[in-house]
Amino acid sequence: MSTASLSPPAPASGVLSRIERELLEIWSTPASPGEPPKARVCTMNLVVVAGEREIASLYTPVVDDVTRSIPARAIIVALDPDAHDNALEADTTAVCARGESGEVVCSERVRLVALGGVCDRVGSAVEALCVPELPTTVVWLGRVHVDDPVFLSVAANAQRIVLDTDYTSLTSLLHLARWAREDPTRPHLADLAWTRLSTWQELCARFFDDASTTGLANAVTRVAVRQASDPGTRLGSEGALLLGWLATRLGWKTSRIGGALRFKRPDGGTVGLHLGTVKRPAEVAPTALAGVTIEAERDGVRLKGTIERELGSGLAAATPDADVLVWRLEVEGKQALEQRVRLSANKGAKVLERTLHRPTEDPALTESVAFAEEVFEDGVVCS
Amino acid sequence: MNATTNPLRRGLVDDRTGDACTVVIFGASGDLTRRKLMPALYNLAVSRALPGGFAVVGQARRDKTHEQFRAEMREGISKHSRRKPIDEAVWSDFERGISYVAGTFEDPATYTRLRDHLAEIDRERGTRGNRLFYFAVSPAEFGTIVGGLKSADLVADAGARTGPWSRVVFEKPFGHDLESARELNDTIARVFHESQVFRIDHYLGKETVQNLLVFRFANSLWEPIWNREHVDHVQITVAEEIGVEGRGKFYEQTGVTKDIVENHLMQLLCLTAMEPPISLAADAVRDEKVKVLRSLRPMERSMVAQNVIRGQYGRGFVRADEVPAYRDEPDVDRQSCVETYVAMKVEIDNWRWGGVPFYVRAGKRLARRVTEISVQFKKVPHTLFRAPDGGITPNVLTMRIQPDEGIALRFTTKEPGQQTILRDVAMDFRYGAAFGSNTPEAYERLLLDAMRGEATLFTRRDEVEEQWAYIDRVFDAWTSEGNTPPPVYSSGTWGPEQADDMLARDGRRWRKP
Repeated sequence: MSTASLSPPAPASGVLSRIERELLEIWSTPASPGEPPKARVCTMNLVVVAGEREIASLYTPVVDDVTRSIPARAIIVALDPDAHDNALEADTTAVCARGESGEVVCSERVRLVALGGVCDRVGSAVEALCVPELPTTVVWLGRVHVDDPVFLSVAANAQRIVLDTDYTSLTSLLHLARWAREDPTRPHLADLAWTRLSTWQELCARFFDDASTTGLANAVTRVAVRQASDPGTRLGSEGALLLGWLATRLGWKTSRIGGALRFKRPDGGTVGLHLGTVKRPAEVAPTALAGVTIEAERDGVRLKGTIERELGSGLAAATPDADVLVWRLEVEGKQALEQRVRLSANKGAKVLERTLHRPTEDPALTESVAFAEEVFEDGVVCS
Repeated sequence: MNATTNPLRRGLVDDRTGDACTVVIFGASGDLTRRKLMPALYNLAVSRALPGGFAVVGQARRDKTHEQFRAEMREGISKHSRRKPIDEAVWSDFERGISYVAGTFEDPATYTRLRDHLAEIDRERGTRGNRLFYFAVSPAEFGTIVGGLKSADLVADAGARTGPWSRVVFEKPFGHDLESARELNDTIARVFHESQVFRIDHYLGKETVQNLLVFRFANSLWEPIWNREHVDHVQITVAEEIGVEGRGKFYEQTGVTKDIVENHLMQLLCLTAMEPPISLAADAVRDEKVKVLRSLRPMERSMVAQNVIRGQYGRGFVRADEVPAYRDEPDVDRQSCVETYVAMKVEIDNWRWGGVPFYVRAGKRLARRVTEISVQFKKVPHTLFRAPDGGITPNVLTMRIQPDEGIALRFTTKEPGQQTILRDVAMDFRYGAAFGSNTPEAYERLLLDAMRGEATLFTRRDEVEEQWAYIDRVFDAWTSEGNTPPPVYSSGTWGPEQADDMLARDGRRWRKP
């Protein structure tokens, strides 16, 4: 690995030229005797932008993990607009992983720190360093402002922008969604919180797969969402997005009666809503989704579906990267069904990896965000 | 699944869950169950692809308890699953759904016990009366089993649009010639409608084989040149390093033509040569494959000697180890005439491929284990550049199915320098490097497809019968020649010299992959 912070400041183009030379040198250096040969593989440009150096440093191992399974040129950018210097610092290295048959496959990682006024030009630096002809995904760590010139310049060459609304806000995603819709050439959007929901969505759908219960999907009477937080905490992104997803799939509208939030079904029926909390173990993310209950009734047939997350259960198990969800379906007059499934791995790298594997366009996300933002952004709290 | 009825399935990105069902494995004591089927089902459980209502019932002759069967399956999964170690949380749920029913296939009581057991599972595990019967048994048992299922009223009506379904999955060999394939299909058809029948050719479950369709039909680059105007010839190779590995008895009845060419290799040929289907629906794809099979120029007896080369491996060295001749393998006749290698020149009489030979070969104890499809393009019409052999090497597009799955394109470039020196280089895309190697195994994909009723990757009755109709002519010719012993090739080589001669007559040569 070669690292060189420039001091005194040099022109940014000089720094980029050095980085380009170093990238070439990584691959031109022959392996030492006895060392296995390395193969450079690149399937995409993965650009990560953080508003602080510390966040960029924390996220670097996540990016390295992801590029071990999705070989890419990773460009991690830290912005420090308040710095006194106007400079660009950079270093580069190869991140390698040994495959099953012993071959060593390497990605490239470039780290940039833009100081002071250079932040405005960081989009130009990123564009210069991206591998041409390959798709570019930008992971934006932090709030997005669609009139921010730095964001616009970095996003200009991307096919997809990834946020994590657990750590930003639904508003950020909503504004971004509106911005993206204005012009079809703009990038598609993805949200790590939305990816984390996919197992919950799948399990909720299973409540209504049986022909005898499918009709009950249009007769939901109550939904309860529990998140891992202290009582009185605002509903987190995962819970809000899940409710947005349910509501948009089932055609619900909001209905406030005496200040209490409820939903109205297309047939005029009311869906009660309960937002609760469970104690959050230290290793679980704040406001992580902890449980869902859906109740439905029609023609005397009652259904109750619950999904409970065994919080922290993954940490002690043999596969220490995800908790277990217990899915339970009770339909009156039938044997209750129960299934235990692993929640998709919830480590940052795995979630980003799964997000990158998903189709770039996901209409359900934008629909759900729009609904969730409208209902929950004004501060719905969990009791 | 249920996308049209369950509103929560609308737009679900990860919607690849099987229908609620019980998988009933006949022949559950065998190796296939322990090595392939149960690890595949367990892997599906880990990846959350199994439905809420799911169970597996093993069925075999030997008496054993549910617990014994579960313990055997756990051991098989521990050894053979790509996901290690066993995830106890997933296993504890998965094993609750595993049970065992003992009995002979001939005994009607076996099926009544099975019926009662399945009804109980439906009540307890919500499997909704859906059954996926997997025949991990010899084809000789198929008739008895389907008869038993029918008599015990275990087969749901195929025509019912709602309500429980029954499907049957079985493994090759789908017969040993056209007549026996028809008989086998007729036997199955007496009980199951064709839409309920899933014939597994595990090659079709491999990612790279599925990628053939994507590669051909999702890239506009290839379609304009994928024809006789631009393609000189195609080579398809299925080469193995291993010998018969203790299966001498089986191989004496089979040979490489029936074991590999009639199914795997013909399927690869179809996917390479077929026209774009109107959709990816099962019958749309299978219709196009059948058209290719019907376009194959029938191998007349007089053509067989020229266009089909047999071989049998002799002693030699594979990966530097000395290995015995086929005839010295256990359970093999010392005078055996069974072929362990075959090379064929196949002609497709249609508009796209007229005049473009497809050279196919398959063999055991060859120099390397490799399965690939190689499309060799025509030479440039005029040589502008001085090249060492007087011509420029034509472009070659190679799709490697195994190992090192990937796609390589060979083309010519200029070496840097004052002189114009030409050099062949390859653009080489490797699946494992680009996407990681932990992809689902063929059986995972195929079992899940069967649970979902998606038949695209399974062979249809007419495909199987067309394949046999083509291959039968070759065997007719060999039989009429008095079944003379095939030429012997040394183990660790690329087959008999006669196979090289076959291509040399056309001014071509085999690739050494």
